[in-house]
Amino acid sequence: MSGTNVWTRSREKLRRFPEILAQCPGEASAYGKCVTATTIGKQELQKDLCVKEFQALKACFLNAAKKAAK
Amino acid sequence: MNKLVSNSRTRVLLTCRTWFAHPQRGVLTAAPNTPKRRPASLNPPPPQRTESRRHRSGGAGMNVFDREMKRRQRKWAASLQGSQQFDYLRDEVMPSISPQVQGSPFLSFSRTFPLALDLGCGKSHIAQHLSKDVVERLVLADTSEDRLRSACEIPTQCVLADEEYLPFPENTFDLVLSSMSMHWINDLPGAFKQIQSVLKPDGVFIGAVVGGETLFELRCSLQLAETEREGGFSPHISPYTAVSDLGNLMGQAGFNMLTVDLDEIQVDYPSIFEVMTDLQGMGESNCAWNRKSVLHRDSMLAAAAIYQEMYGHPDGGVPATFHVLYMIGWKPHESQARPAKRGSATVSFSDLTQVGRTVTKETP
Repeated sequence: MSGTNVWTRSREKLRRFPEILAQCPGEASAYGKCVTATTIGKQELQKDLCVKEFQALKACFLNAAKKAAK
Repeated sequence: MNKLVSNSRTRVLLTCRTWFAHPQRGVLTAAPNTPKRRPASLNPPPPQRTESRRHRSGGAGMNVFDREMKRRQRKWAASLQGSQQFDYLRDEVMPSISPQVQGSPFLSFSRTFPLALDLGCGKSHIAQHLSKDVVERLVLADTSEDRLRSACEIPTQCVLADEEYLPFPENTFDLVLSSMSMHWINDLPGAFKQIQSVLKPDGVFIGAVVGGETLFELRCSLQLAETEREGGFSPHISPYTAVSDLGNLMGQAGFNMLTVDLDEIQVDYPSIFEVMTDLQGMGESNCAWNRKSVLHRDSMLAAAAIYQEMYGHPDGGVPATFHVLYMIGWKPHESQARPAKRGSATVSFSDLTQVGRTVTKETP
């Protein structure tokens, strides 16, 4: 496979994940704290337990990605 | 905004927690030691593919890794531009198993090995650090031909061979080396037996393998992220051998005078993405049959946040732990020290209490 294809394009996008994520430390920390609280507390981790924090993180991430793409 | 370089390594902390295990009791276990397994995955493992197997060494037919995939991954990693930047882990491990480097923690040989074998040699870092005084002739064996390129002063011969099916006759080599490649072998007991058979009596096998709790941070972050985002998780880190299992395996294979050592190497990365990129670049991508072929971007994002929160350093950056197990085993030979026969003791343990007491002579 030569030239650009869907794999090379998506890899390029993936390469920029760390710098975009660095724009959202607060939301990432909040989500991380929500999930790690289940490892020490009694609550077991289930699907979508921290969905609110994750939506906030994802929104921040997408905003930062849009800004970076400009 | 600072651009994070994808493969930057901020610092490497080397912490040695060494202890020696001598499992020479010769205890036979009922079933071959299986490496630690991950919890149940979402996808059932695919049925065993029967490719043309020349010889089964009888290790209960364990088939954990897709060797063909591993060959392709190594080939891809070797073809990368600037693949030397991913060699830091191998370079860290190499001095400890090279039988010549001064200050190597185990090895104080004053011996020359006429014929040595480097199994899963990769780019054969070891070969570049050996001299003709120690090793006279070297055979490099690897499954991927792209990695078999080296230029060193010792005459070398390159063989395209799989570590599980060694094409060498018995009693051929004085020294077998293996650095950071045996953690992808399906049938580890069988591989050890084959190594033991190709060694000459009083030959030595020196190996370094990744094991124990390697990359537990990555494993836990991905597990928690996938559970929260997708409702279940699938193993992304391959199963590793524990220190004790390794000693038992080598004892079962017939090695003498075993030494097993654990070394913890902690490497710091800016985030989880660099960890994964570097593992890919090293050729250490997952190739277990039960691997999921997709890692969703949501899960990656979640895992990055969890990794940073659970294990990250306060000033940014995350650590990744590699537990490297070093092992030395000798093929039995009459010249080697053996445990004394039962009942041949001439001194009693109770005499230990006499040590340190001044002896008083009775004057007649």
